[in-house]
Amino acid sequence: MIRFERVAKRYPGGIQALSDVNFELADGELAFLTGHSGAGKSTLLRLIALLERPSRGQVLFDGRNVGKLARRHIPYLRRRIGVIFQDHRLLSDKKVFDNVALPLLIAGVSYSEIKRRVRAALDKVGLIDKENMYPPMLSGGQQQRVGIARAIIGKPPLLLADEPTGNLDPDMSADLMDYFVQLNEVGVTVLIASHDLDLIRRLGKRVLVLKDGTMVDDLPPRQTLTGDTSG
Amino acid sequence: MEALPGAAGARAWARRHAFSFLSSLGALSRQPIASTMTLIVLAVALTLPTALHVTLDNVRAISASWERLDTLSVFLSVETNEIEARRLGSRLTLWGDITAVDPISPEQGLADVTGQLDLGNVSNELEAALPSNPLPWVLEITPEDGTNVAALVNRLEREAGVSSVMVDLKWLERLDAMLAVLGQLVVLLAFLFAVSVAFIIANTIRMDIQNRREEIEVMALVGATPAFIRRPFLYTGLWYGLLGGTLAWLVVNLGLIALSGPISNLSGSYDADFSLHAPGIEISALLIVGSGLFGILGSWLVVNQHLKKINP
Repeated sequence: MIRFERVAKRYPGGIQALSDVNFELADGELAFLTGHSGAGKSTLLRLIALLERPSRGQVLFDGRNVGKLARRHIPYLRRRIGVIFQDHRLLSDKKVFDNVALPLLIAGVSYSEIKRRVRAALDKVGLIDKENMYPPMLSGGQQQRVGIARAIIGKPPLLLADEPTGNLDPDMSADLMDYFVQLNEVGVTVLIASHDLDLIRRLGKRVLVLKDGTMVDDLPPRQTLTGDTSG
Repeated sequence: MEALPGAAGARAWARRHAFSFLSSLGALSRQPIASTMTLIVLAVALTLPTALHVTLDNVRAISASWERLDTLSVFLSVETNEIEARRLGSRLTLWGDITAVDPISPEQGLADVTGQLDLGNVSNELEAALPSNPLPWVLEITPEDGTNVAALVNRLEREAGVSSVMVDLKWLERLDAMLAVLGQLVVLLAFLFAVSVAFIIANTIRMDIQNRREEIEVMALVGATPAFIRRPFLYTGLWYGLLGGTLAWLVVNLGLIALSGPISNLSGSYDADFSLHAPGIEISALLIVGSGLFGILGSWLVVNQHLKKINP
Protein backbone atom coordinates (compact mmCIF):
# COMPACT_ATOMS: atom_id res chain seq x y z
CA MET A 1 0.00 0.00 0.00
CA ILE A 2 2.81 2.39 0.89
CA ARG A 3 6.33 2.25 -0.44
CA PHE A 4 9.20 4.66 0.26
CA GLU A 5 12.04 4.57 -2.26
CA ARG A 6 15.19 6.47 -1.33
CA VAL A 7 13.11 9.27 0.16
CA ALA A 8 14.80 12.40 1.48
CA LYS A 9 13.24 15.50 2.91
CA ARG A 10 15.17 18.66 3.49
CA TYR A 11 13.33 21.66 4.93
CA PRO A 12 14.15 25.20 3.88
CA GLY A 13 16.98 26.31 6.09
CA GLY A 14 18.97 23.15 5.52
CA ILE A 15 17.40 20.87 8.12
CA GLN A 16 17.65 17.32 6.83
CA ALA A 17 14.59 15.58 8.31
CA LEU A 18 14.85 12.34 6.31
CA SER A 19 17.62 10.92 4.18
CA ASP A 20 17.42 7.81 2.04
CA VAL A 21 14.42 6.13 3.66
CA ASN A 22 13.24 2.81 2.17
CA PHE A 23 10.39 0.65 3.43
CA GLU A 24 7.14 -0.90 2.40
CA LEU A 25 3.84 -1.28 4.23
CA ALA A 26 1.52 -3.92 2.81
CA ASP A 27 -2.23 -3.65 2.53
CA GLY A 28 -3.85 -4.64 5.84
CA GLU A 29 -0.63 -4.38 7.83
CA LEU A 30 -0.13 -2.64 11.18
CA ALA A 31 3.26 -1.17 11.99
CA PHE A 32 4.77 1.14 14.57
CA LEU A 33 7.18 3.85 13.68
CA THR A 34 9.52 4.69 16.48
CA GLY A 35 12.61 6.70 17.25
CA HIS A 36 13.50 9.63 19.48
CA SER A 37 11.89 12.99 18.88
CA GLY A 38 13.40 14.71 15.89
CA ALA A 39 14.19 11.37 14.20
CA GLY A 40 11.76 12.21 11.40
CA LYS A 41 8.63 10.26 12.40
CA SER A 42 6.24 13.17 11.87
CA THR A 43 7.91 14.13 8.61
CA LEU A 44 7.49 10.59 7.33
CA LEU A 45 3.77 10.64 8.11
CA ARG A 46 3.41 14.11 6.62
CA LEU A 47 4.92 12.88 3.36
CA ILE A 48 2.31 10.13 3.09
CA ALA A 49 -0.63 12.51 3.64
CA LEU A 50 1.12 14.95 1.30
CA LEU A 51 1.36 17.68 3.89
CA GLU A 52 4.91 17.90 2.58
CA ARG A 53 6.47 16.84 -0.67
CA PRO A 54 9.69 14.81 -0.65
CA SER A 55 12.87 16.55 -1.74
CA ARG A 56 14.16 13.37 -3.34
CA GLY A 57 12.94 9.84 -3.93
CA GLN A 58 9.43 8.47 -4.31
CA VAL A 59 6.55 7.97 -1.93
CA LEU A 60 4.15 5.49 -3.49
CA PHE A 61 0.57 5.08 -2.31
CA ASP A 62 -1.28 2.24 -4.04
CA GLY A 63 1.41 2.35 -6.70
CA ARG A 64 1.00 6.03 -7.38
CA ASN A 65 3.82 8.51 -6.83
CA VAL A 66 2.36 10.82 -4.22
CA GLY A 67 5.19 13.34 -4.48
CA LYS A 68 4.26 14.06 -8.09
CA LEU A 69 0.52 14.28 -7.44
CA ALA A 70 -1.07 17.40 -8.91
CA ARG A 71 -2.26 19.85 -6.32
CA ARG A 72 -5.90 19.41 -7.27
CA HIS A 73 -5.71 15.67 -6.52
CA ILE A 74 -4.37 16.16 -2.99
CA PRO A 75 -7.81 16.37 -1.30
CA TYR A 76 -8.87 13.05 -2.80
CA LEU A 77 -5.68 11.39 -1.57
CA ARG A 78 -6.30 12.75 1.92
CA ARG A 79 -9.85 11.38 1.92
CA ARG A 80 -8.35 7.90 1.69
CA ILE A 81 -6.14 8.50 4.71
CA GLY A 82 -7.36 9.00 8.26
CA VAL A 83 -4.89 11.00 10.32
CA ILE A 84 -4.77 11.15 14.12
CA PHE A 85 -2.64 13.74 15.88
CA GLN A 86 -1.13 13.96 19.32
CA ASP A 87 -2.81 17.35 19.82
CA HIS A 88 -6.09 15.98 18.38
CA ARG A 89 -6.60 19.01 16.11
CA LEU A 90 -10.29 19.26 16.89
CA LEU A 91 -12.24 22.44 16.28
CA SER A 92 -12.96 23.72 19.75
CA ASP A 93 -15.87 25.95 18.70
CA LYS A 94 -17.73 23.06 17.09
CA LYS A 95 -19.59 20.29 18.84
CA VAL A 96 -18.19 16.77 18.98
CA PHE A 97 -20.84 15.72 16.46
CA ASP A 98 -19.80 18.40 13.95
CA ASN A 99 -16.11 17.63 14.43
CA VAL A 100 -16.66 14.00 13.57
CA ALA A 101 -19.03 14.88 10.72
CA LEU A 102 -16.51 17.18 8.99
CA PRO A 103 -15.10 14.65 6.47
CA LEU A 104 -18.63 13.68 5.44
CA LEU A 105 -19.76 17.30 5.15
CA ILE A 106 -16.81 17.93 2.87
CA ALA A 107 -17.72 14.95 0.71
CA GLY A 108 -21.31 16.20 0.45
CA VAL A 109 -22.97 13.23 2.17
CA SER A 110 -26.66 13.69 3.01
CA TYR A 111 -27.53 14.80 6.52
CA SER A 112 -29.45 11.64 7.46
CA GLU A 113 -26.47 9.55 6.36
CA ILE A 114 -24.08 11.81 8.28
CA LYS A 115 -26.20 11.45 11.42
CA ARG A 116 -26.25 7.69 11.15
CA ARG A 117 -22.53 7.32 10.51
CA VAL A 118 -21.42 9.86 13.13
CA ARG A 119 -23.54 8.10 15.76
CA ALA A 120 -22.05 4.77 14.74
CA ALA A 121 -18.49 6.13 14.90
CA LEU A 122 -19.05 7.80 18.29
CA ASP A 123 -20.60 4.61 19.56
CA LYS A 124 -17.53 2.68 18.45
CA VAL A 125 -15.19 4.97 20.43
CA GLY A 126 -17.57 5.02 23.41
CA LEU A 127 -18.58 8.67 23.20
CA ILE A 128 -22.17 8.39 22.03
CA ASP A 129 -23.41 10.49 24.96
CA LYS A 130 -20.92 13.32 24.29
CA GLU A 131 -22.06 14.35 20.81
CA ASN A 132 -23.41 17.74 21.93
CA MET A 133 -20.39 18.70 23.99
CA TYR A 134 -17.51 20.87 22.85
CA PRO A 135 -14.00 19.32 22.74
CA PRO A 136 -12.55 21.47 25.57
CA MET A 137 -15.19 19.98 27.91
CA LEU A 138 -13.73 16.50 27.38
CA SER A 139 -10.67 14.80 28.87
CA GLY A 140 -7.52 14.28 26.80
CA GLY A 141 -8.35 10.64 26.18
CA GLN A 142 -11.90 11.47 25.14
CA GLN A 143 -10.66 14.16 22.78
CA GLN A 144 -8.25 11.69 21.25
CA ARG A 145 -11.14 9.30 20.67
CA VAL A 146 -13.13 12.07 18.98
CA GLY A 147 -10.11 12.51 16.71
CA ILE A 148 -10.14 8.79 15.98
CA ALA A 149 -13.87 8.85 15.23
CA ARG A 150 -13.22 11.67 12.77
CA ALA A 151 -10.34 9.75 11.19
CA ILE A 152 -12.36 6.58 10.64
CA ILE A 153 -15.74 8.07 9.72
CA GLY A 154 -14.83 8.17 6.04
CA LYS A 155 -13.74 4.52 6.22
CA PRO A 156 -10.29 5.24 4.84
CA PRO A 157 -8.14 2.24 3.88
CA LEU A 158 -5.13 3.79 5.65
CA LEU A 159 -4.89 5.19 9.14
CA LEU A 160 -1.90 7.28 10.26
CA ALA A 161 -1.44 8.17 13.92
CA ASP A 162 1.19 10.63 15.13
CA GLU A 163 1.95 9.99 18.82
CA PRO A 164 -1.69 9.15 19.59
CA THR A 165 -0.92 8.19 23.19
CA GLY A 166 1.38 11.13 23.86
CA ASN A 167 -0.93 12.84 26.33
CA LEU A 168 -2.62 9.78 27.80
CA ASP A 169 -2.08 7.75 30.95
CA PRO A 170 -0.85 4.13 30.51
CA ASP A 171 -4.30 2.50 30.84
CA MET A 172 -5.84 4.76 28.25
CA SER A 173 -2.86 4.30 25.97
CA ALA A 174 -3.26 0.52 26.12
CA ASP A 175 -7.00 0.80 25.36
CA LEU A 176 -6.26 3.06 22.44
CA MET A 177 -3.63 0.74 20.98
CA ASP A 178 -6.02 -2.19 21.34
CA TYR A 179 -8.54 -0.18 19.43
CA PHE A 180 -6.07 0.34 16.59
CA VAL A 181 -5.41 -3.38 16.55
CA GLN A 182 -9.17 -4.01 16.25
CA LEU A 183 -9.40 -1.61 13.34
CA ASN A 184 -6.49 -3.36 11.70
CA GLU A 185 -8.24 -6.69 12.15
CA VAL A 186 -11.17 -5.49 10.03
CA GLY A 187 -8.78 -4.61 7.23
CA VAL A 188 -7.53 -1.07 7.82
CA THR A 189 -3.82 -0.52 7.20
CA VAL A 190 -2.38 1.29 10.24
CA LEU A 191 0.89 3.14 10.76
CA ILE A 192 1.46 4.52 14.25
CA ALA A 193 4.32 6.82 15.17
CA SER A 194 5.04 6.38 18.86
CA HIS A 195 7.87 6.27 21.35
CA ASP A 196 5.85 4.30 23.91
CA LEU A 197 8.25 1.36 23.74
CA ASP A 198 6.62 -0.71 26.48
CA LEU A 199 3.31 -0.66 24.70
CA ILE A 200 4.87 -1.42 21.34
CA ARG A 201 6.80 -4.32 22.80
CA ARG A 202 3.65 -5.73 24.41
CA LEU A 203 1.69 -5.70 21.15
CA GLY A 204 4.43 -7.46 19.22
CA LYS A 205 3.68 -5.87 15.87
CA ARG A 206 6.10 -4.81 13.16
CA VAL A 207 8.34 -1.92 14.25
CA LEU A 208 10.17 0.54 12.03
CA VAL A 209 12.95 2.45 13.74
CA LEU A 210 14.06 5.85 12.57
CA LYS A 211 17.25 7.49 13.74
CA ASP A 212 18.43 10.91 12.58
CA GLY A 213 16.33 10.69 9.46
CA THR A 214 17.34 7.21 8.35
CA MET A 215 15.59 3.86 8.80
CA VAL A 216 17.98 1.95 11.06
CA ASP A 217 15.81 -1.06 11.87
CA ASP A 218 12.73 -2.92 10.62
CA LEU A 219 11.63 -5.55 13.14
CA PRO A 220 9.07 -8.07 11.93
CA PRO A 221 5.98 -8.92 14.04
CA ARG A 222 6.15 -11.22 17.08
CA GLN A 223 9.77 -10.46 17.70
CA THR A 224 10.69 -8.88 20.98
CA LEU A 225 12.07 -5.42 20.65
CA THR A 226 15.47 -5.28 22.29
CA GLY A 227 18.27 -2.84 22.63
CA ASP A 228 18.24 0.89 22.87
CA THR A 229 16.27 2.57 20.12
CA SER A 230 16.12 5.96 21.70
CA GLY A 231 19.68 7.04 21.06
CA MET B 1 -13.65 -0.84 2.11
CA GLU B 2 -15.90 2.01 1.14
CA ALA B 3 -13.68 5.03 1.07
CA LEU B 4 -15.04 8.52 0.68
CA PRO B 5 -15.33 9.34 -2.97
CA GLY B 6 -15.67 12.90 -4.23
CA ALA B 7 -19.41 12.36 -3.78
CA ALA B 8 -20.61 13.51 -7.15
CA GLY B 9 -24.05 14.54 -8.26
CA ALA B 10 -26.17 17.64 -8.06
CA ARG B 11 -27.44 16.90 -4.56
CA ALA B 12 -23.96 16.51 -3.10
CA TRP B 13 -23.00 19.72 -4.87
CA ALA B 14 -26.04 21.52 -3.42
CA ARG B 15 -25.25 20.23 0.07
CA ARG B 16 -21.67 21.46 -0.12
CA HIS B 17 -22.89 24.86 -1.33
CA ALA B 18 -25.48 25.12 1.41
CA PHE B 19 -22.74 24.41 3.94
CA SER B 20 -20.50 27.15 2.48
CA PHE B 21 -23.39 29.59 2.29
CA LEU B 22 -24.31 29.12 5.93
CA SER B 23 -20.76 29.22 7.22
CA SER B 24 -20.13 32.49 5.34
CA LEU B 25 -23.10 34.10 7.07
CA GLY B 26 -21.75 32.71 10.33
CA ALA B 27 -18.43 34.45 9.69
CA LEU B 28 -20.19 37.81 9.32
CA SER B 29 -22.35 37.42 12.39
CA ARG B 30 -19.57 36.03 14.60
CA GLN B 31 -17.85 39.41 14.64
CA PRO B 32 -20.65 41.96 14.34
CA ILE B 33 -18.52 44.97 15.30
CA ALA B 34 -15.65 44.18 12.94
CA SER B 35 -18.10 43.39 10.12
CA THR B 36 -20.00 46.62 10.67
CA MET B 37 -16.83 48.68 10.66
CA THR B 38 -15.71 47.08 7.41
CA LEU B 39 -19.13 47.73 5.89
CA ILE B 40 -18.99 51.40 6.89
CA VAL B 41 -15.54 51.82 5.35
CA LEU B 42 -16.78 50.13 2.18
CA ALA B 43 -19.91 52.28 2.07
CA VAL B 44 -17.88 55.48 2.41
CA ALA B 45 -15.39 54.37 -0.24
CA LEU B 46 -18.22 53.55 -2.64
CA THR B 47 -20.28 56.63 -1.81
CA LEU B 48 -17.58 59.06 -2.96
CA PRO B 49 -17.40 58.10 -6.66
CA THR B 50 -21.15 57.45 -6.80
CA ALA B 51 -22.00 60.83 -5.32
CA LEU B 52 -19.58 62.52 -7.72
CA HIS B 53 -21.15 60.68 -10.63
CA VAL B 54 -24.67 61.72 -9.57
CA THR B 55 -23.58 65.34 -9.12
CA LEU B 56 -22.03 65.37 -12.57
CA ASP B 57 -25.13 63.78 -14.07
CA ASN B 58 -27.27 66.53 -12.61
CA VAL B 59 -24.94 69.33 -13.76
CA ARG B 60 -25.04 67.83 -17.26
CA ALA B 61 -28.83 67.85 -17.17
CA ILE B 62 -28.86 71.54 -16.21
CA SER B 63 -26.34 72.57 -18.85
CA ALA B 64 -28.28 70.68 -21.51
CA SER B 65 -31.41 72.65 -20.64
CA TRP B 66 -29.40 75.87 -20.85
CA GLU B 67 -28.03 75.07 -24.27
CA ARG B 68 -31.51 74.65 -25.66
CA LEU B 69 -32.42 78.20 -24.59
CA ASP B 70 -29.53 79.70 -26.46
CA THR B 71 -30.06 82.07 -29.33
CA LEU B 72 -27.68 83.89 -31.61
CA SER B 73 -27.92 87.62 -32.04
CA VAL B 74 -27.08 88.69 -35.61
CA PHE B 75 -26.31 92.42 -35.70
CA LEU B 76 -26.87 93.93 -39.12
CA SER B 77 -24.94 96.94 -40.35
CA VAL B 78 -26.36 100.31 -39.33
CA GLU B 79 -27.30 101.21 -42.93
CA THR B 80 -29.61 98.21 -43.28
CA ASN B 81 -33.24 99.30 -43.48
CA GLU B 82 -36.35 97.44 -42.40
CA ILE B 83 -37.13 95.88 -45.81
CA GLU B 84 -33.61 94.49 -46.20
CA ALA B 85 -33.62 93.22 -42.64
CA ARG B 86 -36.94 91.39 -43.01
CA ARG B 87 -35.91 89.95 -46.39
CA LEU B 88 -32.70 88.56 -44.89
CA GLY B 89 -34.69 87.24 -41.96
CA SER B 90 -37.16 85.33 -44.12
CA ARG B 91 -34.30 83.98 -46.22
CA LEU B 92 -32.55 82.67 -43.11
CA THR B 93 -35.67 80.82 -41.95
CA LEU B 94 -35.21 78.57 -44.95
CA TRP B 95 -31.85 77.33 -43.63
CA GLY B 96 -32.07 73.81 -42.29
CA ASP B 97 -30.23 74.45 -39.06
CA ILE B 98 -32.31 77.47 -38.05
CA THR B 99 -35.61 76.98 -36.27
CA ALA B 100 -36.81 80.55 -35.94
CA VAL B 101 -35.77 84.09 -36.81
CA ASP B 102 -37.06 86.99 -34.80
CA PRO B 103 -36.25 90.44 -36.23
CA ILE B 104 -35.85 93.17 -33.63
CA SER B 105 -36.15 96.77 -34.79
CA PRO B 106 -33.81 99.46 -33.43
CA GLU B 107 -36.79 101.03 -31.61
CA GLN B 108 -37.73 97.77 -29.94
CA GLY B 109 -34.08 97.19 -29.08
CA LEU B 110 -33.80 100.57 -27.45
CA ALA B 111 -37.02 99.97 -25.54
CA ASP B 112 -35.69 96.58 -24.38
CA VAL B 113 -32.41 98.09 -23.29
CA THR B 114 -33.96 100.95 -21.36
CA GLY B 115 -36.56 98.60 -19.93
CA GLN B 116 -33.94 96.14 -18.79
CA LEU B 117 -31.85 98.88 -17.29
CA ASP B 118 -34.97 100.00 -15.43
CA LEU B 119 -34.47 103.58 -16.50
CA GLY B 120 -38.20 104.29 -16.30
CA ASN B 121 -39.12 107.75 -17.47
CA VAL B 122 -35.46 108.50 -18.14
CA SER B 123 -35.92 106.52 -21.38
CA ASN B 124 -38.09 109.21 -22.86
CA GLU B 125 -35.45 111.77 -22.10
CA LEU B 126 -32.81 109.46 -23.54
CA GLU B 127 -34.75 109.06 -26.76
CA ALA B 128 -35.19 112.75 -26.96
CA ALA B 129 -31.53 113.38 -26.24
CA LEU B 130 -30.22 111.02 -28.92
CA PRO B 131 -30.10 112.57 -32.38
CA SER B 132 -31.08 109.25 -33.92
CA ASN B 133 -31.43 105.65 -32.69
CA PRO B 134 -27.90 104.25 -32.61
CA LEU B 135 -29.00 100.62 -32.63
CA PRO B 136 -29.00 98.48 -35.80
CA TRP B 137 -31.54 95.90 -36.82
CA VAL B 138 -30.94 92.61 -34.99
CA LEU B 139 -32.07 89.13 -36.01
CA GLU B 140 -32.53 86.77 -33.08
CA ILE B 141 -31.88 83.26 -34.34
CA THR B 142 -32.81 80.03 -32.62
CA PRO B 143 -30.70 77.22 -34.01
CA GLU B 144 -31.98 73.69 -34.52
CA ASP B 145 -31.15 71.27 -31.68
CA GLY B 146 -27.76 69.69 -32.11
CA THR B 147 -26.55 72.24 -34.64
CA ASN B 148 -22.85 72.93 -34.89
CA VAL B 149 -23.13 76.49 -33.65
CA ALA B 150 -19.62 77.53 -34.63
CA ALA B 151 -20.19 76.58 -38.29
CA LEU B 152 -23.53 78.34 -38.33
CA VAL B 153 -21.92 81.52 -36.96
CA ASN B 154 -19.33 81.32 -39.70
CA ARG B 155 -21.95 81.14 -42.45
CA LEU B 156 -23.99 83.93 -40.92
CA GLU B 157 -21.00 86.21 -40.75
CA ARG B 158 -20.42 85.76 -44.51
CA GLU B 159 -23.98 87.01 -45.33
CA ALA B 160 -24.17 90.48 -46.87
CA GLY B 161 -25.33 93.13 -44.45
CA VAL B 162 -24.29 91.19 -41.36
CA SER B 163 -22.07 93.23 -39.13
CA SER B 164 -21.41 90.76 -36.36
CA VAL B 165 -22.82 87.65 -34.70
CA MET B 166 -22.91 87.45 -30.93
CA VAL B 167 -22.71 84.08 -29.34
CA ASP B 168 -22.51 83.59 -25.67
CA LEU B 169 -21.67 79.94 -25.91
CA LYS B 170 -18.02 80.10 -24.95
CA TRP B 171 -18.66 79.54 -21.26
CA LEU B 172 -21.02 76.67 -22.07
CA GLU B 173 -18.33 75.06 -24.19
CA ARG B 174 -15.92 75.46 -21.33
CA LEU B 175 -18.46 73.94 -18.96
CA ASP B 176 -18.91 71.02 -21.34
CA ALA B 177 -15.17 70.50 -21.54
CA MET B 178 -14.90 70.70 -17.79
CA LEU B 179 -17.71 68.17 -17.38
CA ALA B 180 -15.93 65.84 -19.80
CA VAL B 181 -12.76 66.10 -17.69
CA LEU B 182 -14.73 65.47 -14.51
CA GLY B 183 -16.50 62.56 -16.21
CA GLN B 184 -13.10 60.97 -16.92
CA LEU B 185 -12.12 61.69 -13.34
CA VAL B 186 -15.20 59.85 -12.09
CA VAL B 187 -14.28 56.82 -14.17
CA LEU B 188 -10.74 56.92 -12.79
CA LEU B 189 -11.95 57.38 -9.22
CA ALA B 190 -14.52 54.62 -9.61
CA PHE B 191 -11.73 52.29 -10.69
CA LEU B 192 -9.46 53.31 -7.81
CA PHE B 193 -12.24 52.90 -5.28
CA ALA B 194 -13.21 49.54 -6.77
CA VAL B 195 -9.63 48.41 -6.25
CA SER B 196 -9.71 49.76 -2.71
CA VAL B 197 -12.95 47.84 -2.11
CA ALA B 198 -11.22 44.65 -3.24
CA PHE B 199 -8.32 45.32 -0.88
CA ILE B 200 -10.46 46.36 2.09
CA ILE B 201 -12.38 43.12 1.71
CA ALA B 202 -9.18 41.15 1.12
CA ASN B 203 -7.77 42.50 4.36
CA THR B 204 -10.92 41.70 6.30
CA ILE B 205 -10.97 38.17 4.89
CA ARG B 206 -7.28 37.83 5.71
CA MET B 207 -8.04 38.53 9.35
CA ASP B 208 -10.93 36.08 9.20
CA ILE B 209 -8.51 33.47 7.79
CA GLN B 210 -6.04 34.15 10.62
CA ASN B 211 -8.81 33.52 13.12
CA ARG B 212 -9.84 30.32 11.40
CA ARG B 213 -6.40 29.05 10.44
CA GLU B 214 -6.86 25.94 12.56
CA GLU B 215 -10.23 25.16 11.02
CA ILE B 216 -8.87 25.60 7.49
CA GLU B 217 -5.94 23.30 8.16
CA VAL B 218 -8.15 20.64 9.68
CA MET B 219 -10.54 20.85 6.74
CA ALA B 220 -7.67 20.50 4.27
CA LEU B 221 -6.36 17.60 6.31
CA VAL B 222 -9.57 15.62 6.11
CA GLY B 223 -9.77 16.11 2.36
CA ALA B 224 -11.55 19.39 1.68
CA THR B 225 -10.86 20.63 -1.83
CA PRO B 226 -9.45 24.15 -2.21
CA ALA B 227 -12.75 25.12 -3.81
CA PHE B 228 -14.62 23.91 -0.73
CA ILE B 229 -12.33 25.82 1.64
CA ARG B 230 -12.40 28.90 -0.56
CA ARG B 231 -16.14 29.04 -1.06
CA PRO B 232 -17.31 30.36 2.34
CA PHE B 233 -14.71 33.11 2.12
CA LEU B 234 -15.82 34.02 -1.39
CA TYR B 235 -19.39 34.22 -0.13
CA THR B 236 -18.22 36.42 2.74
CA GLY B 237 -16.45 38.69 0.22
CA LEU B 238 -19.60 38.78 -1.87
CA TRP B 239 -21.73 39.72 1.16
CA TYR B 240 -19.35 42.49 2.11
CA GLY B 241 -19.37 43.84 -1.45
CA LEU B 242 -23.13 43.64 -1.90
CA LEU B 243 -23.91 45.11 1.51
CA GLY B 244 -21.26 47.85 1.14
CA GLY B 245 -22.64 48.74 -2.31
CA THR B 246 -26.22 48.79 -1.03
CA LEU B 247 -25.23 50.99 1.92
CA ALA B 248 -23.46 53.42 -0.44
CA TRP B 249 -26.56 53.49 -2.65
CA LEU B 250 -28.70 54.28 0.40
CA VAL B 251 -26.32 57.04 1.53
CA VAL B 252 -26.39 58.68 -1.93
CA ASN B 253 -30.17 58.51 -2.12
CA LEU B 254 -30.61 59.83 1.40
CA GLY B 255 -28.21 62.65 0.50
CA LEU B 256 -30.32 63.48 -2.55
CA ILE B 257 -33.47 63.54 -0.44
CA ALA B 258 -31.77 65.82 2.07
CA LEU B 259 -30.65 68.14 -0.73
CA SER B 260 -33.91 68.18 -2.69
CA GLY B 261 -35.54 70.86 -0.46
CA PRO B 262 -32.72 73.42 -0.72
CA ILE B 263 -32.27 72.67 -4.44
CA SER B 264 -35.91 73.33 -5.25
CA ASN B 265 -35.70 76.61 -3.28
CA LEU B 266 -32.60 77.54 -5.27
CA SER B 267 -34.10 76.64 -8.65
CA GLY B 268 -37.28 78.48 -7.67
CA SER B 269 -35.28 81.63 -7.07
CA TYR B 270 -33.90 81.32 -10.62
CA ASP B 271 -37.38 80.79 -12.04
CA ALA B 272 -36.19 77.40 -13.21
CA ASP B 273 -37.92 74.08 -12.77
CA PHE B 274 -35.11 71.77 -11.76
CA SER B 275 -35.09 68.73 -9.52
CA LEU B 276 -32.27 66.30 -8.66
CA HIS B 277 -32.04 63.03 -10.54
CA ALA B 278 -31.50 59.92 -8.43
CA PRO B 279 -28.84 57.50 -9.74
CA GLY B 280 -30.25 55.47 -12.62
CA ILE B 281 -30.95 51.76 -12.45
CA GLU B 282 -27.78 50.97 -14.46
CA ILE B 283 -25.54 52.91 -12.10
CA SER B 284 -27.24 51.43 -9.04
CA ALA B 285 -26.86 47.92 -10.43
CA LEU B 286 -23.26 48.60 -11.44
CA LEU B 287 -22.50 49.91 -7.97
CA ILE B 288 -23.98 47.00 -6.05
CA VAL B 289 -23.13 44.12 -8.37
CA GLY B 290 -19.71 45.60 -9.16
CA SER B 291 -18.72 45.94 -5.53
CA GLY B 292 -19.99 42.40 -4.94
CA LEU B 293 -17.73 41.11 -7.71
CA PHE B 294 -14.75 43.07 -6.40
CA GLY B 295 -15.50 41.57 -3.00
CA ILE B 296 -15.21 38.10 -4.49
CA LEU B 297 -12.01 39.11 -6.27
CA GLY B 298 -10.47 40.45 -3.06
CA SER B 299 -11.23 37.36 -1.02
CA TRP B 300 -10.17 35.05 -3.85
CA LEU B 301 -6.72 36.64 -3.96
CA VAL B 302 -6.09 36.27 -0.26
CA VAL B 303 -7.61 32.80 0.20
CA ASN B 304 -5.64 31.37 -2.70
CA GLN B 305 -2.43 32.74 -1.31
CA HIS B 306 -3.18 30.96 1.95
CA LEU B 307 -4.26 27.69 0.33
CA LYS B 308 -0.97 27.32 -1.49
CA LYS B 309 0.73 26.97 1.87
CA ILE B 310 -1.55 24.12 2.96
CA ASN B 311 -1.42 22.14 -0.28
CA PRO B 312 2.27 22.04 -1.15
